[in-house]
Amino acid sequence: MTTGEAEKLAHFEQRIARGEKIEPGDWMPEEYRRQLIRMISQHAHSEIVGMLPEGGWITRAPSLRRKLVLLAKVQDEGGHGQYLYHAAETLGATREEMIDALLRGKAKYSSIFNYPAAAWADIGVIGWFVDSAAILNQTMLARSSYGPYARAMIRICAEENFHRKQGMEIVYRLTQGTPGQRLMVQQAVHRWWWPTLMMFGPHDADSPNTPVLVRWGIKTRTNDELRQEFVDQTVPEARAFDLSLPDPDLRFDAASGHWRFGQIDWDEFRQVISGHGPCNQVRMEARRKAHEDGAWVRAALQAYARRREQAA
Amino acid sequence: MNDTQLPRFEVFVQERRNGPHLNAGSVHAADAELALLNARDVFARRPECHGLWIVPADRVTARTAEQLAVEMPSSEPGESGRAETYRVFGKIGHKGTHEHLGRVEAASAGQAIRKAFDTFGSLSVTSWWVVPESACLESAEDEADAWFKPAQDKPFRDQAFYPVETFMRSLRRARESKEPRR
Amino acid sequence: MNDAQRQAAVEYLLSLGDDELVLAHRDSEWTGHAPILEEDIAFANIALDEMGHAVIWYRLHADLAGKDPETYPDHLVFQRTAEGFRNAPIVELPNGDWAFSMLRQFLFDAAEQVWLEGLGRSAHAPIAAAARKIMTEERYHLRHTRAWTLRLGLGTEESHARMQRALDALWPFACDLWTARPGEHELVTAGICPDGGSIWRTWEAEVVSQLEKADLARPKAVQPTGFDRTHHTPHLTESLAEMQSVARLEPEGVW
Repeated sequence: MTTGEAEKLAHFEQRIARGEKIEPGDWMPEEYRRQLIRMISQHAHSEIVGMLPEGGWITRAPSLRRKLVLLAKVQDEGGHGQYLYHAAETLGATREEMIDALLRGKAKYSSIFNYPAAAWADIGVIGWFVDSAAILNQTMLARSSYGPYARAMIRICAEENFHRKQGMEIVYRLTQGTPGQRLMVQQAVHRWWWPTLMMFGPHDADSPNTPVLVRWGIKTRTNDELRQEFVDQTVPEARAFDLSLPDPDLRFDAASGHWRFGQIDWDEFRQVISGHGPCNQVRMEARRKAHEDGAWVRAALQAYARRREQAA
Repeated sequence: MNDTQLPRFEVFVQERRNGPHLNAGSVHAADAELALLNARDVFARRPECHGLWIVPADRVTARTAEQLAVEMPSSEPGESGRAETYRVFGKIGHKGTHEHLGRVEAASAGQAIRKAFDTFGSLSVTSWWVVPESACLESAEDEADAWFKPAQDKPFRDQAFYPVETFMRSLRRARESKEPRR
Repeated sequence: MNDAQRQAAVEYLLSLGDDELVLAHRDSEWTGHAPILEEDIAFANIALDEMGHAVIWYRLHADLAGKDPETYPDHLVFQRTAEGFRNAPIVELPNGDWAFSMLRQFLFDAAEQVWLEGLGRSAHAPIAAAARKIMTEERYHLRHTRAWTLRLGLGTEESHARMQRALDALWPFACDLWTARPGEHELVTAGICPDGGSIWRTWEAEVVSQLEKADLARPKAVQPTGFDRTHHTPHLTESLAEMQSVARLEPEGVW
């Protein structure tokens, strides 16, 4: 590093320490830019792929209220993906590159969306577990040092609470319903508990990116901290619903005030993020098909716009 | 890779009646008319919208305070010499987003930045944008009802629609009465 | 309203609600699969609006039928078989490609605009109020679908060919939108709904002028489709089987 670079880096880190936001155009280390593009684009892809497991239930939602709400929720996820792609674009990444990477299987997205939404009750549990987890993560990211990312997150957080609550409402209805409805939601809880804990990512000790992300204020909390907060928040909710969680080791530790949980199956996590989860292939096929089926549409829009421009 | 995601347009949303237009993000669209329509669908899904502006992203000239500290553009008109109106947006302090501050007349984007700084510099702006007014497209006032009213009839997009606190409280109470505290 | 008119209005409102519901259901199938992200969000908005309109009409239907407007709409959607639905067959056809879905939406929006203008002057005040409210949203839909019809019609050879194919397939079904709805004759006389037989020319003029701008040719001869509001295509049965699959697991259940 040259002296000039070192000075710039020191100035940059001082700005972050003062709580200033870094804006596009400001000097930033290449590694900061690289990490942000990686993180934000993964986050955007997660929203877009995340439309699929729930989207499949819009046509089957069992009441008009549920139908309207689920459609609006899946639409919001599209919107959130849209805001996030925008945030990555302010760093010089193009949406063409990002989507191309996703469709070629070169980009990661949240492991959770490679699990199937097997029954209607899964829609409730996804809202309750997955969106609660997402809110914890996103509330942290709303304080991120990079201005456009923080702004996208503020917008997303404001909208996301509805996602969690509609999920809890579904869970509530099912727990108060017929024995069949109760069983359906209990099974869904068992399916989604461990995948949701994995969603926070590897333990801090195995998370190579965390230190630099924390130092530069991209993240302000670690995977394990967020995971623990999720467990502490959700276990009492599950008990209120009178739903069991599939972890025999789950117990309250009065000394620390935390709920202690059992071992996460990291082999399964690695399988899922490396493309061998139960639904990786279906999800990617659905994205590719939408993209390919839409190619003629995008070409037509472009041709029309070009002609209009020439005529002007 | 021969795909296109179409050009990008910056979007400004007027969240309060007569309030300033705030940058909300951007949309990809083939032309300005579709960009304006899509801006409505992407950024006005919830009630707080009274008007929209869009501008092609490549017509935005941006300078951060950090950049201006290193190099301040000249107040000279530059080569073209023909003045036009620029809209000035600034992000004030470290919270919030770029908001519309006003207009300046300038013969180049550089001069517009300089004039913006001279006019609004007291506002502790951390990031400046100037865009030629001629490149902006706005939602029409007489269409505002059709564009922005429908969002008001979608209360289910608001978390307040779901009585979650109420039923969680009643569940906890029911549980406590069943198994009294040891 | 006398009893005969009330009965006619009950039937008529059901057909309005069913049109909106079945179209909304089809539109919602695009969510997550549209050609570009922004339009995915936009089309979901259209689906949401149409679904909301269905609820409005169903509630009025319930009111006049002496049912509970809070619960009866769900009963209508999730407990009826295809034979009981009164939608026009155009809205039950599968989505096809983006050209087909967009053009159907345009043809329907344009028709709805004309109905709503008439219904906005209904002698029955709740219908008039509902129509005026819905019209606000429809104005935006029409703006959106007009813009798209133009672009796809004029875009590339391929997009033009797809639009023309869609139009050829949709046109007879679109014309069927104008065969009298259940209860219509009774209501026209009472000034409760507009006379489809006389206002459909307004729709035709709007639609044909837009199609011409998009270089799309209206099919000359219109073959009867063989389906109507009481004789549905098998596609409706399939859609309903999907739509009702969860609700029917526990027909008495609250979801």
